[in-house]
Amino acid sequence: MPSNRKIEPISSGPAPLAEKTAPSPILIEIHNVVKVYSSAAGDFTALKGINAQVGTGEFLGIIGKSGAGKSTLLNMITGVDHLTSGEVIAHVGGKTVSVHAMSENNLALWRGLNFGIVYQSFQLLPMLTLVDNILFPMDLCGLYRRRASRERAMELLRLVELEEHARKLPNFISGGQQQRVAIARALANDPPVIVADEPTGSLDSATADTIFQVFEHLVENGKTIIMVTHDNSLAPRFSRRLYLADGEMAAT
Amino acid sequence: MIQMHSVVKTFKNAAGEFVVLKGVDLAVKSGEFVSIVGKSGSGKSTLLNMITGIDHPSTGQVLVGGVDIYRMTESKRSRWRGRNLGIVFQFFQLLPMLTLLENVMLPMDYVGAFEADARPERAMELLKMVGLESQAHKLPSAVSTGQQQSAAIARALATDPPVIIADEPTGNLDSRSADVIIQLFDDLVRGGKTIAMVTHDPSLTERTTRTIIISDGELIDETVALALPLLSHRQMLDVTKKAERFTFQPGAAILKQDEHVDYFFMITSGRVEIVLRSPRQEITVASLGPGEFFGEVELIRGGKSIANIRAASGAPVALVALHRDEFNKLVAASPLTEDTLGKIVQARIEENRTATRKGKRL
Amino acid sequence: MMRPRWRKVFSDLLDNKLRTLLVVISIAVGVLSIGVIAGTYVIISEDMSVSYAAHQPANIELRTDNFDEDFLATIRNTPDIAQADGRRVVNLRVRRVGSNQWVTLDLVAMDASEVDHLNRLDPISGATVPERREVILERNAFDDLKAAIGEELEFELTDGSRKTLKVAGIVQDPTTSAGDFLAPPLAYIRMETLDDLHQPRLFNRLYATVSRGQDNDDEIREIAAQLRDRIEKGDHVVIRTRLSKTNEHPMASTVNAILGILGALGVLIVFLSSSLIANTLNALLNQHLRHIGVMKLVGGRSQQILAMYLALILSFGLLALAISAPLGGQGAYALSAFIAGKMGFTLLGYRIVPIAFIIQATVALVVPIVSGILPVINGSRISVQKAFSGDMPSGEKRREHAKPADTAPRSRPRFFLPRPLLISLRNTFRRKRRLVLTLFTLTMGGAIFIAVFNVRVTLHDYIGQIGKYFLADVTLDFDRPYRLSEVEQAAMKVPGVVEVEGWAFISAEILFPDGMPADNLNILAPPADSALVAPVGLKGRWVHANDEKALAVSEALLDKFPDLQPGDNISLKIDGKEEAWQVVGIFKFTGREGVLAYAPYEYISRRTNLANRAYSFHVLTTDHSRKNQDSMAEDLDKYFRQEGFHIREARAGLSRMDTAAESLDILVTFLLVMALLTAVVGSMGLTGTMGMNVLERTREIGIMRAIGANDFEIIRTVIIEGMVIGIISWFLGALLSFPFTVMLSTIVSLAIFYTPIDLVFTPSGFFIWLGLVIVLSVVASALPARNAARLTIREVLAYE
Repeated sequence: MPSNRKIEPISSGPAPLAEKTAPSPILIEIHNVVKVYSSAAGDFTALKGINAQVGTGEFLGIIGKSGAGKSTLLNMITGVDHLTSGEVIAHVGGKTVSVHAMSENNLALWRGLNFGIVYQSFQLLPMLTLVDNILFPMDLCGLYRRRASRERAMELLRLVELEEHARKLPNFISGGQQQRVAIARALANDPPVIVADEPTGSLDSATADTIFQVFEHLVENGKTIIMVTHDNSLAPRFSRRLYLADGEMAAT
Repeated sequence: MIQMHSVVKTFKNAAGEFVVLKGVDLAVKSGEFVSIVGKSGSGKSTLLNMITGIDHPSTGQVLVGGVDIYRMTESKRSRWRGRNLGIVFQFFQLLPMLTLLENVMLPMDYVGAFEADARPERAMELLKMVGLESQAHKLPSAVSTGQQQSAAIARALATDPPVIIADEPTGNLDSRSADVIIQLFDDLVRGGKTIAMVTHDPSLTERTTRTIIISDGELIDETVALALPLLSHRQMLDVTKKAERFTFQPGAAILKQDEHVDYFFMITSGRVEIVLRSPRQEITVASLGPGEFFGEVELIRGGKSIANIRAASGAPVALVALHRDEFNKLVAASPLTEDTLGKIVQARIEENRTATRKGKRL
Repeated sequence: MMRPRWRKVFSDLLDNKLRTLLVVISIAVGVLSIGVIAGTYVIISEDMSVSYAAHQPANIELRTDNFDEDFLATIRNTPDIAQADGRRVVNLRVRRVGSNQWVTLDLVAMDASEVDHLNRLDPISGATVPERREVILERNAFDDLKAAIGEELEFELTDGSRKTLKVAGIVQDPTTSAGDFLAPPLAYIRMETLDDLHQPRLFNRLYATVSRGQDNDDEIREIAAQLRDRIEKGDHVVIRTRLSKTNEHPMASTVNAILGILGALGVLIVFLSSSLIANTLNALLNQHLRHIGVMKLVGGRSQQILAMYLALILSFGLLALAISAPLGGQGAYALSAFIAGKMGFTLLGYRIVPIAFIIQATVALVVPIVSGILPVINGSRISVQKAFSGDMPSGEKRREHAKPADTAPRSRPRFFLPRPLLISLRNTFRRKRRLVLTLFTLTMGGAIFIAVFNVRVTLHDYIGQIGKYFLADVTLDFDRPYRLSEVEQAAMKVPGVVEVEGWAFISAEILFPDGMPADNLNILAPPADSALVAPVGLKGRWVHANDEKALAVSEALLDKFPDLQPGDNISLKIDGKEEAWQVVGIFKFTGREGVLAYAPYEYISRRTNLANRAYSFHVLTTDHSRKNQDSMAEDLDKYFRQEGFHIREARAGLSRMDTAAESLDILVTFLLVMALLTAVVGSMGLTGTMGMNVLERTREIGIMRAIGANDFEIIRTVIIEGMVIGIISWFLGALLSFPFTVMLSTIVSLAIFYTPIDLVFTPSGFFIWLGLVIVLSVVASALPARNAARLTIREVLAYE
């Protein structure tokens, strides 16, 4: 990734996290998080009391087999799913919040401003062009200033090398390209944290590698990245690793 | 069993035309267990869809069991497919409103295979075969994904089709379930079925009898893939396209010692012998078979042929040959290959030396 | 540049055009019918009375014996009488020269200078004031005779001679017989022409307007009573009185009641379309769960998402309004014009009815929001996690989230249904809420459809019941009384005649206890043992031969005397004298034509000094068909004339029912149109449901194709599912049609006959609807089925 193509933070967005929460390098604290899924077939404990921390500027890999609870843990951090017991405290955007105690609506805005989320299945809106997909979070979170945000969206597309496809619909580009758009969208509100759930899971290895390079580049530029993967071969590329097995922390 | 002749598939959409298959020729014999490998977007699923008649080729012809399947209407093809192909998908296999047993019976209902009275019994037998007889009366949602996949295989066998087509059949299964499925496939091949399977799991391709690699809508020469596995698919394709093909009759000389070597050779079929010739005697240094290569030593070291190479007696030899210039470019572009070739060159030279020494001693 | 969120709404609107069309049409159907009915209601209720009042309707119409110009002058001086006109009305037979089709009409002779006073005529073509030996036809008479202007019409005079008059013009008379379904058609001549028709130049009708209380029943009645006193003091007899208000059309209440019924059906259609909207929006939100999840993921709050989907719903509503507002305006005017034509009044002109538009706009915008708000709120509040797992809160659980029943093995079946059939059956019940909403609309449509058929039969049965009071196949009216035996002997010579009865008649006025006139009373007097009246009794008994001053009255009298019981006395004014008569029985009959009473011929004939004689004879023949009655009437007419009898008219018995049956048929047609509309909405709901089902099951269809299902199998799977839904709805609709029939029949009969009627059920409605619902459900699922069969498997498996 050429280094001169660097995204500058937008003026109205939250400033890079490092400047504001300088004294505490801890970004997210996870205390005794338990998650139980209830169904007619019985209860299933997906997380059995997890304790962990995420530090600012880390490239944290959460590694484990399918069913280990790693996606669930990620959902607890972003507030996408509710924990059964325990605490998730986040020190992002200059404020300390209890993720598990926020209302669904406050969560949505908080998440939109502070987290960029990337999924295995891209999750682009199929009826919007790539550039509109990237504009969407800015629109919803009120960071939308017509001219400026459009320029920023184009810049983000340039970052992932898709600017010439800006007006295409997601279905007309390849999976790897869609994932790059998803990353650009995750960066739209310039959040301090990027969360990625198996972002390379449905991509071939060469494409996966370019995605990984984009992440590494982002970490270099001060973002914190939390990534879930089942692929242990990626482990060396993270700055720190959390291993999960059967809902518990594991050694390796 | 399966023959594809110059199959071209072009997709059109708002973004423009997109050629997914660029004239594919393929022949799969009865009883083969073929894996089709390729990166995402390489066209492997499209290739499979051409065989199952799920999608139309833009031009070209597909024969399955001698039948030109694109001369039928879509509707007739469905019927034909039900009788002749068992298809296993990666996701979403079973109809959720039917029990496993009913799911397995359904293809027989559709194509009228077996007597109506015999169908429940046959379906039960197939479920027994995949170890699901105790789950037969459950709905798919009540069994695990692996069990659903097994039931789907039972269903694919319902009409006793000669060919099984599978698209990433183990793609979303844990390794233990995947093992069971592959074991099942092995058994089926042994029982005379032809299986073509798309996968990107290398542990599965090892167990098939043949691997077809597709890259950018073209098939990679299987000889190239065997000989130079460390190349990227794109490079393999490049080699496939640039290579020339030669055939030598048994015993014919391919390279002569001390002559200039212009090609890097890969063996498609037959065997070659590497022979050192001293004035007095011939020493056969090595015998190379399909998937092996020669000529690299000379090309890398810029020298002349260090041995005589000839087609072994018994069968003609088919070779894929890459010209020196192309070979050098290729090696320069693939450090891994260069590395490996370097080692092989060392080894072979060592071999030659040993052989020469031995010969001299003799 | 549009904000991305609105761009998404816009794309949602355009991407699935079929779905948008379906939602828009389902809203539009309801909005359209409401708009047409509301517009018609406003136009009719304004124009009907305005047009009526503009023609100077008489408040008082008196049928009297002959009086002259001088007497009319004295009447004009009566206090509170603003204006009074005298006319002479003669009932005559007429035909076009050379035709043998006789038409009976009321020929109105008026002073040429009075043409424009009361009961004004609207010119249609030709002259409005007849010259001597000219006749002007009212539109209905023109329709019956089909005579052109300038053509000669042949009148048969009371003495049997014939006279021709020339048609000078065609007019419309919106007032004279307004509100009287059974009135004969009208034609107009000038007084001088009476000489040519061998009639005296005397008046027998008095038309008057009042100078105060023109819209007050009580005041008009009071003034009319004074006027009658004055006439009777002048030694004249008042035979009949008819009162009407100036600014209210006599039929207004009936028309409004019928429009009310249509309006209620319109509301029902809106209601049904709202369930269709709810269904579609539910499906749409289900398909959009992932989008909602994504929006929430990137910072979208519930209110924002709610706003987006409300905007989408409003867009549907606005599109529907854009279609249905202009159509509704046109439709309202067209329907008004149709009704105006039938009722004989003119509209004030095309106009946009603001209130109708406001109602349409409200319905188009509010109803979709109301019916869609719940799924939208649920959808906007869903958590990201649930959105991605495709779990709609309080909505339908996907099968993946198995209920306990699903995790247990299904019981081992004894025998196996063919799996393809099994798929259709199980598919039917997979989306329970959707099924319920679909069944609801289809069931309502069906119930109304069947009910309308029942109502139709009920109304015709009622007409038939009225016919029981007029069983005679032919009625013969003579200009002078004949002996019973004489007429009987003559009539029996005509082949086909079985029996002849002479009927007497007197007319009276019913008085309230305070002496004020309550209503007119026609007392028919058949022989007490008459075979030609089969009364449907309500209370008390029928009249006996030896009854004196006793009568059986129709139930319409209960309106004026609610406590009336058999045995009670009522005051009648007959030939100007008050008498007390005993009511011996009350029978069922329409109140449409006022109160009817029966007394025995034996008594009435004596009283009128016509013992064993009669003016009117009722003839029973062998064949009661309308066709035979017509030819018998003709034969009898010819025969009696030939024998030198002074016969005025021979009429087929069933002809009395013609106008009533015709107007009922118009009403039933309206009801049927509404029923069909509900059926259309219902089948649109089914199409939508099947379309959504197919869309959601695209992958399943792909699987079916992949394992050998051909086009036929796929189409069959979808169509059988549609038919199962159709047949279930038929059962429910058949059950629901019973209460609907009761409701609808009661409302309609009260509006038309002023009396509740006995219900009759017919299997034809049930069977026709069964056939229709099967056809509709096949048609409704055919399109989705064809689309399903068209999907290539590649598309199917690519569908995520």
